[in-house]
Amino acid sequence: MMEKILELADIHRSFGAVKALSEINLQIHKGERVALIGASGSGKTTLLRLLGAQLAPDRGEIRVLGRDPLALGESGLRELRSRLGYMPQDLGLVPNLRVLQNVVAGRCGRRSILGTLRDLILPALGVRRRIHALLERVGIEEKMYDRVDTLSGGQQQRVAVARALFQEPVALLADEPVSAVDPARARDVLDLLVRLCEEEGLTLLVSMHQLELAQDYFPRVVGLKTGRIVFDGEGSSLREEEMADLFQLRERTAGA
Amino acid sequence: MKVPVSIWSGKRLVVVILLGVLVTCGWILGPRVIHLSEGANPFAEIERFFGGALAPSLEDENPSLPAGAKPFLLRTGESLMRTCRYALVAMSLALPAGLVLGFLASSAWWPGAMMYGAASLKRRLLRGSLRLLRWMCRLLITLGRSIHELVWALLFLSALGDAPIAACVALALPFAGTLGKVFSELIDEQTQAPRAALMATGASPLQAFCGALLPAAFPEMLTYTVYRFECALRSSAVLGFIGVETIGLGIRQSYENLYYGEVWTQLYALVVLVVLVDILGARLRERLNRGVARKALPEPTAGEERYPEDLLRRTAPRDWVVRGGVLATVLLTLLCWNVGKELGADLTTDQRSERMSRFLTKLTPAPVRPENRLATGSERVEAFRGKTGEVADWAGDLWTRNGAEALLNTVAIASAAIVLAGVGAALLLPLGSRALARGDPFGVLGAASRGVRFLWAAVGFFTRSLFVLGRAVPEYVYAFLLVGLLGPSAWPLVLALALHNLGILGRLWGEVMENQRPEGPRHWIQCGAGRFQAYLGSLAPLSFNRFLLFFFYRWETCIREATILGMLGISSLGYYVSIAHNWLRYDEMLFYVLLGAAAVFAGDLLSDWMRRRLRGSAGCS
Repeated sequence: MMEKILELADIHRSFGAVKALSEINLQIHKGERVALIGASGSGKTTLLRLLGAQLAPDRGEIRVLGRDPLALGESGLRELRSRLGYMPQDLGLVPNLRVLQNVVAGRCGRRSILGTLRDLILPALGVRRRIHALLERVGIEEKMYDRVDTLSGGQQQRVAVARALFQEPVALLADEPVSAVDPARARDVLDLLVRLCEEEGLTLLVSMHQLELAQDYFPRVVGLKTGRIVFDGEGSSLREEEMADLFQLRERTAGA
Repeated sequence: MKVPVSIWSGKRLVVVILLGVLVTCGWILGPRVIHLSEGANPFAEIERFFGGALAPSLEDENPSLPAGAKPFLLRTGESLMRTCRYALVAMSLALPAGLVLGFLASSAWWPGAMMYGAASLKRRLLRGSLRLLRWMCRLLITLGRSIHELVWALLFLSALGDAPIAACVALALPFAGTLGKVFSELIDEQTQAPRAALMATGASPLQAFCGALLPAAFPEMLTYTVYRFECALRSSAVLGFIGVETIGLGIRQSYENLYYGEVWTQLYALVVLVVLVDILGARLRERLNRGVARKALPEPTAGEERYPEDLLRRTAPRDWVVRGGVLATVLLTLLCWNVGKELGADLTTDQRSERMSRFLTKLTPAPVRPENRLATGSERVEAFRGKTGEVADWAGDLWTRNGAEALLNTVAIASAAIVLAGVGAALLLPLGSRALARGDPFGVLGAASRGVRFLWAAVGFFTRSLFVLGRAVPEYVYAFLLVGLLGPSAWPLVLALALHNLGILGRLWGEVMENQRPEGPRHWIQCGAGRFQAYLGSLAPLSFNRFLLFFFYRWETCIREATILGMLGISSLGYYVSIAHNWLRYDEMLFYVLLGAAAVFAGDLLSDWMRRRLRGSAGCS
């Protein structure tokens, strides 16, 4: 049995009166490739942020890379997060900085404040070489010294991928990386993510709402609906009515 | 979800209330009594003054100057350079202070934001002391801002004699406060996504601050600093009216000698300088927002690495214009500090401390003033002991004698002026809008003839020029000229404040309208509405909350300015400040200064509160 790197047991999380997640049980093993699918508002982002040790659950057990983030102090938490590459849906790039500076910021978690300032202002030759090689792998090395806001949406996404990889993470968590691109580009992005994760042996967890893409690229698919896991298994074993149910509007049941 | 009707009634209510404020203020300030019967032709002087606008002098108008005297143009050039010099020196003091204050007044870099679960005692203590530090910084910022630079200058010059550095420090104090306040607001208003993304990679809040918030806010901080320099130029010019050798001194002297041609020459010089800096700031903003285009990369050589890192680095887009400009500014500032007339006073430490001590004695309220003019600290405290009642009586007496009325007049002048400016700007706005004041508003295909197109382009250009001129000349200079022309009453001050703020509101509101999405008003035009219908029906209601946001911001600055305009001899706070200063009653001067500071402080809090509320609602509209 492979090592479990992310574990959630009976997790509940609400925002005010809105129940974002309830009774979540999930285990992800090292090297797995998992798609998290569900309609908008089904709790995908909340689940990813919980797994990224950015958000605390209201109730339940959580283990990230074998450790309980709730029990960690600031330095422990920083160390934990630095080993998880997280790509937010809006990418979170600084538009008026160069690609190099955005990528180098990925290793803040392992640097002191002075080291970060040095990285941002006068990055060392070794760092520049590594980032150049990394950008070559994501296919935008010629943009290394260009401002991020001069890049296309797809290129910006690659910058975010490079930033996450520069962390040298154990797992890559990507929140809706293909929601804002056309179908052909979506396949490019997923090809890239899958290829990179296979090369590095990373665990990959991607949230999306295109079931077909999930089935094509991910051996394991987790279906979320109104904050609950309704499906967890091989994508191809998902039955027709389960698929339909996943994206149906929230039913007016007693609890809702 | 509100229905549109209730939003409209809210807007109508606000407009009615503001007009009510104008009427009330007008009633408080009283009617203007014009004695135009004096003299043969009362309008001759006004005519002569505006005649000077068309015929500015290039030579001295004074016929009886000694032969060796410096010619007028040379003197004007020198005073203009001194105006620049003091403004630059003041900014070089204010900018570092503003950066530190802005950093400390922001909470975005505080440690512990990434934690969850209960915070440890150590962490809570740390955050508690940071909160205290921030609170003290905000107090410092507000205190520095609530006393006008002219008043600071009056105090410093009285204490230290007429050293230019005293004037520069006086300028720097409120400017540091304003820079600090705006810097912290700019940082807090940045989108949080990049910060959150960095924190997710394990960055500490301080690292996320340096890596995401600060770089993102940097362009706006730089352009705001240029704008502040423009303000420093105006303030530096105004310091001439209390005797500092800047262009304001020349304007005052020429005006008092009735050499109107000279007045206009110097006004034009000041306006050209200010407008140049204004244009510079606009260009800078454009460049920073757009970035520089990359030079085309050479075709990759076959077989080798496509684009080696050092090639990319060598050809990286760099904005040499901005970098060169920043470097030149730094060099110029160093030059300003070290070349030319000595900035510091030629005093020994003993002389300086003696002066300070004497000044402090004069500042002490009369009932508790120590006998010994060079009293030590403990002697001063001793004199205070048991006499708080007498000090309270002294202050109460000043309050009932002049203070209350002066305060009311000051607030009324500021309020009347800002409402007038708002009304004027609202009326002129469609004429100055780049989208509306053209032959084909919003680019909608029309049948406007060439003449009509030209006419509208001209109207737009002239309205925008009016805005530029309005804000290029400082309020104090307008007030000085208008009091001279219209005679002493509160209304010239109101007009002066209104004129300057008309220019500023015209620009700020114009920018708000330009940032609105054009679909709404364009739809109105396409449906056959005229320019004013599109403005009143679509643009103005859409922008209303943002308009109010800037309106309250300017109201606050109007109160600040109104506290000093009285120095021109009109019954309001500044008048009593200058009277007390002339009579060397520094204790009474301090009382009125503090009264003004209290008014500005209150205005600051009120406008801050209003803007926070409006920002909430402006965000979702």
